[in-house]
Amino acid sequence: MNLSHSLLNQLRALIGADGVLVSHAARFTYEADALALEKHLPDVVVLPRSTDEVAALVRWAHAHRIPVTPRGAGTGLAGGATPERGGIVLSLNRMDQVLSLDPERMLAWVQPGLVNLWLSQRLAPQGLTYAPDPASQQVSTLGGNVATNAGGPHCLKYGVTMNHLLGLVVVLYDGSVVTLGGEAPDAPDFDLGSLVTGSEGTLGVVTEVCVRLVPRPEAVKTMLFDFATVEESCRAVSAAIAAGIVPAAMEIMDQHTVSLVEEWLHLGLPLDAGAVLLIEVDGPAVSLERQAEQIGELARRHGARSTRIARDEAERAAIWKGRKSAFGAYGRSASGFYIMDGVVPRTRLAEALSGVHRLCAERGLEAGNVFHAGDGNLHPHVLFDADDPAQQAAALEVSHEILRMCIRMGGTISGEHGVGIEKRPMMRELFGRDDLAAMERVRRAFDPEGLLNPGKILPGEGEPTAANPAQLGGMRPVGNSEGPWI
Amino acid sequence: MSAVATLGLDPARAADPGRYRIGDRAPRLALKPASSAEVAEALRAASTDQLGVIPWGGGSQLARFEAPERFDVALDLSALDRIVVYEPEDLTVTAECGITLGALHATLADRGQELPLESPHAARSTLGGTLATNASGPRRLRLGAPRDRILGARFALADGTLIRSGGQVVKNVAGFALHRLLCGSGGGLAVLLEASLKLLPGPEARVVLIYAATGEQLADAERWERLPRLDPAFATVLGRAAADALGEPEAARAPFAVAVGLEDDMKVVAQQERTLGAAWGPPVARLEGAEAIALCRRLTEVQDQAQARLTFTSPHRVPAPIAPLLSLAGVERLVFHAPAGRLHWFPESGSAQAIVRGLAEHGFVLIGARRAGDLEPVVAPQAAVRALRLRIREALDPGRVLALGERWAESL
Repeated sequence: MNLSHSLLNQLRALIGADGVLVSHAARFTYEADALALEKHLPDVVVLPRSTDEVAALVRWAHAHRIPVTPRGAGTGLAGGATPERGGIVLSLNRMDQVLSLDPERMLAWVQPGLVNLWLSQRLAPQGLTYAPDPASQQVSTLGGNVATNAGGPHCLKYGVTMNHLLGLVVVLYDGSVVTLGGEAPDAPDFDLGSLVTGSEGTLGVVTEVCVRLVPRPEAVKTMLFDFATVEESCRAVSAAIAAGIVPAAMEIMDQHTVSLVEEWLHLGLPLDAGAVLLIEVDGPAVSLERQAEQIGELARRHGARSTRIARDEAERAAIWKGRKSAFGAYGRSASGFYIMDGVVPRTRLAEALSGVHRLCAERGLEAGNVFHAGDGNLHPHVLFDADDPAQQAAALEVSHEILRMCIRMGGTISGEHGVGIEKRPMMRELFGRDDLAAMERVRRAFDPEGLLNPGKILPGEGEPTAANPAQLGGMRPVGNSEGPWI
Repeated sequence: MSAVATLGLDPARAADPGRYRIGDRAPRLALKPASSAEVAEALRAASTDQLGVIPWGGGSQLARFEAPERFDVALDLSALDRIVVYEPEDLTVTAECGITLGALHATLADRGQELPLESPHAARSTLGGTLATNASGPRRLRLGAPRDRILGARFALADGTLIRSGGQVVKNVAGFALHRLLCGSGGGLAVLLEASLKLLPGPEARVVLIYAATGEQLADAERWERLPRLDPAFATVLGRAAADALGEPEAARAPFAVAVGLEDDMKVVAQQERTLGAAWGPPVARLEGAEAIALCRRLTEVQDQAQARLTFTSPHRVPAPIAPLLSLAGVERLVFHAPAGRLHWFPESGSAQAIVRGLAEHGFVLIGARRAGDLEPVVAPQAAVRALRLRIREALDPGRVLALGERWAESL
């Protein structure tokens, strides 16, 4: 699709010339999100500044049957913001304001382009915070978080994005603007908002978000345990959950990951450990000492060889830096790697990790693991030589096998990254034909002509059950040295 | 009984329609299928015969509503009452939707875990009914709403197609969350058969402190300002008649009672108690452990103290904003779960509309009305939302078999 001068001029009249990008260089920036597997140039990139402008744009696009792909910061790993069918990329980055803040009632209205971390920074003086903290929070936006129902390390205790939303202003397919929910915890129509959350921009464009805020925890304690094997660390996680302890976060890095991170950042992580387990507890100060003791005892009972407790904020930051730098560390060690986002029941973590290593070893591939253990959310990274087509094909094959294993174990193919383009073929393995048909019908109720982020999430008829390995050439690290995306 | 009268099911599945009255109307037939497959079979047949079907859980809520326009078949789901998977170490449970909340509570309590759902009449109320009515109780903010706790579901569409969305694991963003859409859909979009829920570990300590309060004290904003950040499990304001139903005589001596629930580690609860004691002095009653649990259940029961009921939501987090309402008729029965802004009002005959209007001025939005007659909405419904709801109903139940779908699509 190529938009004519006349159509582009109409767009400029709606949004203003500075909000309509048509140069190849500008469009090139928006051809993919953090999944470089699939790239498609949009015909035009539009950056509105208000709900009214978004509504005008969507109404206009609907009238001209032009696809619209909403986009936040583009940190998604599943291709959810890739304009697969061209048309308009609707970037919400200029809508980045906190519209109102009500510390007494602990809520805020924000625009979707607001960066997640900025909100919590803005709230800090009030003693409040916005709990969902996807690892991409320094860059990713609230709108993107809503679209993917983002999680994060601390969602173990605090819940995911959906649990912290009160209201959404949504532009529907025809440009009509609706408010789903509001400032109160309940509303008669908010069930629609909870469906829109996590729908990856396919049901509407979220232009304002009312978020629920929570008090900043009075105290926090961050601990690092090392284990001889990753299985032992997983059993310690299951034991903590079984004992009724729900820490703020429980994260595991396997030996492979620890060695790559340590080699790079020299944080003092134990190189001989089969796995390190990061546990953070937070809340009223009086409760933490005992929680930490209980966790320490459980960890030791399950094989923890040593315990490191952060004595100050700097040490805490160093521990978290290790965890959050895993992605970048992989990028330094292999020319290509592929990240998965599978979930298994927490009791089957150890078994699932053994399965990941076995499946990779069978194909001569290396895998690293860094994951949200408390939630059973695995992020296996399969490393491969991007210039070796056979390895690429093997990497893709093993990634599908790993997700199939998650499904067999009673889990799912995506815990927090979304389906986008990347996991679309796997949806047929997770759900039955009738399930997908019902989802498609509901989607069509929201967007009868399928112009909002078309083609995402649900596999179309006749599509292959697995992605075409020829697409693997694009699977390279995005080269961000911090790489805090998982 | 003829084959038509059991919609193709074993005649042994037929039940007495007289037991499934809504208002003054009994259905033409009542069925109690014993499996998901039988539910599907009954729905397929009802769909073919264009009968209006109403899924039936424990009947604890439905029976109290006005009679619907169409009510051909009551589909009693109470025989689907198994726990499908319960792995305490996963802190999740999957159960069939006909199981009662009471049975689920008991199973989980044996392992020190807690079901994050509250509904009156727990011995009768079913999991499916609780989800479908989006029920909640005093701990609405602490526990979240049903949509916050549901991980996935199996359900039957009106034409008998069996569908699944979500899953059993605690994090899952694969596919559209139809299971969340069904929370609050009142049995009008699909028939819930099985649901997976995220559980909570039971707290180490539970304490309920009951304070007596005058109208002036309720109105004193400063008195309550620290409450939200203290993070109580609940803080419920009750009018005298409602307080009387708690069975704590001291609670009903003042015009109002405020029951504050503290649930956490022992040390945290002790600290919270000290903070409240310093601010408000000694409570008129203090309960802990099993007694505190029982009182919390009674707070859920008083939400159902009369037939006619209006339920409101609001962004208020503390008792003070209800002060302007204290002169309205029916105040002695009010139940206000302050941290969640949820207010139940039991209007006297003919006063509902005035109450709805009066409360709207103070930020209370009507989200549920029962036996309150026809009410004019204070805020005009959003036409685009209404149209969207109608399209969703059309997408899931084009034959309009599920008779309560009308209510879901129209209620705003």
